[in-house]
Amino acid sequence: MADRRRINGPGGSTLPPVYDETESDAASLRQRAPDAIRPLYLKTGVTPSASGSAYLEIEPREGKHGSGMKLACTVHGPRSLPRSAPFSPYMVLSTHVKFAPFATKQRRGYLRDSSEKDLSTLLETALRGAMIADRWPKSGVDVVVTIIEGESTRQDAVERRVEEWDAMNVLGGCITVASAAIADAGIDCVDTVSGGVAALVADKNGGELSMVLDPVALEHESVLAACCVAYLPNRDEVTNLWFKGQLPSTGTHNYQTLVAKAVQASRGVHGLISASLSEVIENSQG
Amino acid sequence: MAQQTLLSPAELAYLHSSLSLSPPIRPDGRTSKQFRPLTAETGILPGTNGSARVCLADGTEAIVGVKAEIEKTADPLGDDGERYREGEWLEMTVEIPGLRDDDAGTVFLAELLREALLADGELAKKLWINRRFHWRLYLDILLISPPLSYPLPLLSLTTHLALLATRLPRLKSEGDEDPMFDDDWEAAPFLYPRQGGAAAAGSRPSITLLVVAVGDSILFDPSKEELAVADSALAVSLCEVRRERGQSSMEVDSGRELRLVAMRTIDPPSRLTPPGVPSTANLAASGTADVPLQQKQQQTSDEVPQEGVWKAPLGGTPFAVLDSIIQAVLEKGGVADEVLDGLEGVDLA
Repeated sequence: MADRRRINGPGGSTLPPVYDETESDAASLRQRAPDAIRPLYLKTGVTPSASGSAYLEIEPREGKHGSGMKLACTVHGPRSLPRSAPFSPYMVLSTHVKFAPFATKQRRGYLRDSSEKDLSTLLETALRGAMIADRWPKSGVDVVVTIIEGESTRQDAVERRVEEWDAMNVLGGCITVASAAIADAGIDCVDTVSGGVAALVADKNGGELSMVLDPVALEHESVLAACCVAYLPNRDEVTNLWFKGQLPSTGTHNYQTLVAKAVQASRGVHGLISASLSEVIENSQG
Repeated sequence: MAQQTLLSPAELAYLHSSLSLSPPIRPDGRTSKQFRPLTAETGILPGTNGSARVCLADGTEAIVGVKAEIEKTADPLGDDGERYREGEWLEMTVEIPGLRDDDAGTVFLAELLREALLADGELAKKLWINRRFHWRLYLDILLISPPLSYPLPLLSLTTHLALLATRLPRLKSEGDEDPMFDDDWEAAPFLYPRQGGAAAAGSRPSITLLVVAVGDSILFDPSKEELAVADSALAVSLCEVRRERGQSSMEVDSGRELRLVAMRTIDPPSRLTPPGVPSTANLAASGTADVPLQQKQQQTSDEVPQEGVWKAPLGGTPFAVLDSIIQAVLEKGGVADEVLDGLEGVDLA
């Protein structure tokens, strides 16, 4: 008995068409300088119904079918907590990070899986340090980040272990977009927090190690270690540090340089946030 | 993980100032680099490939069971390709009483432990049988007491011990045949052998230490009360790499090298503690309703922290503090060495 109420997919299994690409591998290698971050587009106030919102787009990779990351963030609140909630002398911050089902190569479900929950917790740590929470007692703020488009496209090779490294980039983007949305909502912060990523990568030719800012795992042969920081530039403080990987025991590549590079990347991103926010202020005045 | 500490702002301020002294005075009399005493045993669960139980002095207790299953490798042709999916060969669950297993804090803990174990990529090599088959490891971490303090170091040490105690049946078949195993459990080799030259060399399962900074002092293995006043908390995962001890057998156990594999900032619960009110601004204490003065006090107390009045920490951690935490962890003959030496002394059943 066919289900006529819903639009169902085809009965049998189908294979998506895969076209031969004549393009060489060279296009997918990193073209930027090692200390250059990708151009970003940031706009605040995109969702009228939310008290603050922002949209961040990272420029697609070089090459024909690159895909940039696209993130949207909405901030709801500060609003009063439900009556059933216990008293809190502070603003209660809750963060939700969700990939759109179509954002990654592997389809994501509608329920948040463990990696999304993990990102939410990391984002919460990054934001909580920056917010002056005692100015809003008994109120709650929800920060919702949706990743509309991830970094890998359907055409990219499947068998590369890039997803775990992409999570760092996703977190960096989440921190930046959430920070802009919080500023748009007018919630007091000690500083605008921004996210930056740096990685130690090995490249195909010669396998030489180098440190790069804003890495894209697909552009490199392998990623050895990566670090994501949430950084407050005016206070010179780190609200969240996430490092993983293996650094060679010998040589100059140590975690201090890696963290310093990540901080450098987040300083670059911070310039963008302040430029975007001051543009909004100028527009509203003029 | 939201843990309610029932400490008043005055108690918090007192604790914070005594912990920021040099040397810090901790409520339980430990030195800043001392671990809480713990009892550990392995091989407590006969139905597992390896198991361990660790009981901390404050009454928290965790057990870990490791079970291994044979699994067909999905893509036997891809010799290299499959290596990238090796992270899926380890399945990990963390169970903490009173918390849902999909609670954000539990998920965070599980991811933290998992990424530390997989960071060096050595574990997957040990699980490889041949090109068609591999072991799949199930790591089940159970906290069997209520979470009295942040359970991260406890769970990590228990996991470390359980993996050290894990044995896999000895392989009898060769090459890419269907695997056949020796049914003598006594002959089963350890996943991480302790002795025996080349086999014992290489990296060992990671351990994760929780370190907090209070003022200028750095405290290891914080208790719940210490965590409640911490300015910042950092989970540092280390991995011991052993060099092959061949020609220079004169060295006594110095072939240990500690390697940093993962780090994460933990949101310190101190941010959620109630702020104190200075008695000058407190109407009930001063008894005068001098409104303009009180307003002035309110404004100043917003910005300038007053001595002895508790205020939840604001902002992040300067990198210098993070750096000194990491240096203290990686220090030769430091806490990590002490913990690893202690765990070395546990019999592997």
